[in-house]
Amino acid sequence: MARAQLPPHSPQLAIVFGSSWFEQSLLLGGVRSILGGTPVIGGSTAGEITPEGPTKHSCVVLLIGSEKLVWSVGVGEGLDHAPREAGHQAAYQAAQGLQGHQRIGFLTFGDGLATRYGDVIRGMEEVLGTSSLIVGGLAGDDLHFSQTYQYANDLVVSHAVVGVLFGGTGKLGVGIQHGFAPISKSRQITRAHANVLHELDGQPAASVYEEYVGRELINQMHSGGMTRQRIAYPLGIQTGETNQWLLRNVVSVHDDGSMDCSGDIPEGSWLQLMIVSRNLALEAARTAALAATQSLNRVAAVILYDSVARRKLLGERYLAMEVAAIREVVGPSVPLAGCSTYGEQAPVGVASAGRTGVHTGSVLIVAVGT
Amino acid sequence: MPFKITLMFFVGALTAALLMVGLDWSTRFLGLIVMLGTLGYLALKMEQAHRQLADVHRLRDAYDQLDRQAKLIIRTDLELHRTQEELDRRAASLMSLHQLGRQLQVSLRPEEVYGKLHPSIVTNFGFSKGLLGMCTSLDTVEWHSHIGVSADAAEELKKHLITSTLLKRVLTAPSPKTLRTHAATDASERQLLSLLGVPMAVVAGVIPHAGPAGCLLLGGVTDDATDSRGDEELVAILANQLATAVENSALYEGAWEAKQELERKVRERTHELAEANSALVRLNQAKSNFVSAVSHELRTPLAAIKGYASLLGTGQFGALAKSQAERVAKIEKHADLLTQLINNLLDIARIESGRVAMEHRPIAVEEFFATITDLVRPQLEAKRIRYAADLDGITQLVGDAQHLQRVFVNLLSNAIKYTPEGGHIRVGLRRDGASVLATVSDTGSGIPAEDLPKLFQEFYRAADPINQHIEGTGLGLALAKRIVDAHQGHITVQSEPGKGSTFSVTLPAG
Repeated sequence: MARAQLPPHSPQLAIVFGSSWFEQSLLLGGVRSILGGTPVIGGSTAGEITPEGPTKHSCVVLLIGSEKLVWSVGVGEGLDHAPREAGHQAAYQAAQGLQGHQRIGFLTFGDGLATRYGDVIRGMEEVLGTSSLIVGGLAGDDLHFSQTYQYANDLVVSHAVVGVLFGGTGKLGVGIQHGFAPISKSRQITRAHANVLHELDGQPAASVYEEYVGRELINQMHSGGMTRQRIAYPLGIQTGETNQWLLRNVVSVHDDGSMDCSGDIPEGSWLQLMIVSRNLALEAARTAALAATQSLNRVAAVILYDSVARRKLLGERYLAMEVAAIREVVGPSVPLAGCSTYGEQAPVGVASAGRTGVHTGSVLIVAVGT
Repeated sequence: MPFKITLMFFVGALTAALLMVGLDWSTRFLGLIVMLGTLGYLALKMEQAHRQLADVHRLRDAYDQLDRQAKLIIRTDLELHRTQEELDRRAASLMSLHQLGRQLQVSLRPEEVYGKLHPSIVTNFGFSKGLLGMCTSLDTVEWHSHIGVSADAAEELKKHLITSTLLKRVLTAPSPKTLRTHAATDASERQLLSLLGVPMAVVAGVIPHAGPAGCLLLGGVTDDATDSRGDEELVAILANQLATAVENSALYEGAWEAKQELERKVRERTHELAEANSALVRLNQAKSNFVSAVSHELRTPLAAIKGYASLLGTGQFGALAKSQAERVAKIEKHADLLTQLINNLLDIARIESGRVAMEHRPIAVEEFFATITDLVRPQLEAKRIRYAADLDGITQLVGDAQHLQRVFVNLLSNAIKYTPEGGHIRVGLRRDGASVLATVSDTGSGIPAEDLPKLFQEFYRAADPINQHIEGTGLGLALAKRIVDAHQGHITVQSEPGKGSTFSVTLPAG
């Protein structure tokens, strides 16, 4: 269907959002059997998104054809044991393929089960530079938290990051928002390492968190999985900018009072528990869409990375409303495709001025245009 | 503010120095005044600082109070989330049960029922993996659905269920059982969870009253102990629904097989009957051909017999003695009877073989019955039988006048034969929808009930003592029926011994 909507001779790139429900090699084989040698990038999801709203157990393909854009695909494997090197490898491979073209941005799909994804981004930045735009989503597996998949051309890989580096004279617009607001008082992160939060205000982090969410939820958090209670009140780390918080979900709690989080925790920062409503979340989606499109003269396509936490917390109906709200902003005729992710990566702070970081609970909108 | 206080201290110290080393009383007095002023200012500032500190304490208390309220709100909201999530899950489960019920209604075989575990059912029930299999005994299971589980893993699970006797326990247990990694005391249960790759599972037997049993295994990624009772209840409902569907499909299968058997037998019998019917038709055709051939062969010698008998009767070959003349007359009479018999037989054979086409022309009713009455009048008069015809204003019939005349002459001749002297015979016509019903009634001896069904068969004559004295070929009514049938009409008889008979003929009105 996607192929039929593009002129046959324009250079094409396929972005594939595939349900982990399918046998992955067969799924990619099916896509390739139609598209032939067209470059492919993508990943498994925690639910797919089409212009009509959210779907499940499906495969959504966005085909981009442009005379102004060029692209090159890169793959970095071994994310579970050498994340920095994997990021390095993916970015290097993609940069090699782009030759002398001006770089616009790196769009990635990473393993959603990786615990040190910040290192992956550092690896990419080492190759592409810290001022390069690096955006993307973390692949999911329908909340099974067992194995995610990344696609690059004919390859289906796990524990990997794949990306497409855009170059040429086109533009990528990015907007990321979550809409959560603080509800608790600020606590200082007195001890943290990577994605593990050890102490808040000098006390074990779990005991402070337990004051808010209760013993029962803490007990549940000794095992994996995702329920609405576990994601209803994420941690919000103050970024230093007014009214800007970086969200982190508590993934699990350890007996020593430390907590594994869904992204890096910067020691010394201040942290608050956050809350959201449907209206706030919808407003955030509109703001993100505006931010993504304001720098573009013409929007050709929109890629949506929407945190699975939003889908789980606010429901499928909300997600349909969110997609409709985004389409209102970007234009109803603009092709749109996306998925529910285990995490989003985008510049932290004001659009592309900030360094790339890992986000949670956010809606990331990437607009491709001129 | 600290600068001002430092300045005040500096001024105070300077004043104290003036007081101590002052030259005259006026300088000392000035120093005293300044010092008192400085002390007053310091006292004022101290009071202000004290008040501000109290404000800060109050603000911090308010902040802490707000945080305590936030904790309360969060815990209450989390409870609501838990309840809402459980309600959503129950609603989704019930919706799935409803949809499954509708799908199961059209499941015609137990294998089909066991293949109906759809991914949406598994996820709506709050699970991530599911298997449903059919068990033809307590130690066999064949998976017909496996959701989120590879074919290899399903095979491993099957082997484990059988070898660990878990399957037997499931199929004999009255209700579903929840298995948890951290609570499983049985090594085989822990192994099952490990093979399924989940921390929690519910396993249930599908136990129908009729049809093969089954095994349902659902695995979840969360291990929330508070949900287990609800899960078990829902899974029990699901298992019961499946069992009912298996029962229904088994009953349907039985009924379907019985129907198939019945249809097969009906087909066989129909085939046999068709073959027998074909044989009869062939036989009847052969009989008609035979009768036709024989009749033709008989007519020529019979004509000669009748001709020579007539000649003999006229005395052309010499005068006959009285006894000779009587014998020749008998020969002639019986030759006539035989000719009539042969003609009737030939007509029946012709009509049956379709060689005679009935005309389809209007018949003037009054003229038609007048001709018939003229033909039978001598016999009526001979027996002094009163005759009446009521044509009920009907003027026209449609058919073959010549053949229909034979029908009514035959019926009237029979009526005259069996009606004693001085009796009554009545011909009646009446309109009956698009048809005309003609009746010939008499006050004759009547016909026994057992003879009525066979009355229109060829050569059938009632075993009646009266019949012994009345001549007849047994072909008249058979021929009448063939002619009426050929007009798409009906001929019937109503009779009672001693009370006369009524023959009814239905014919098209036109």
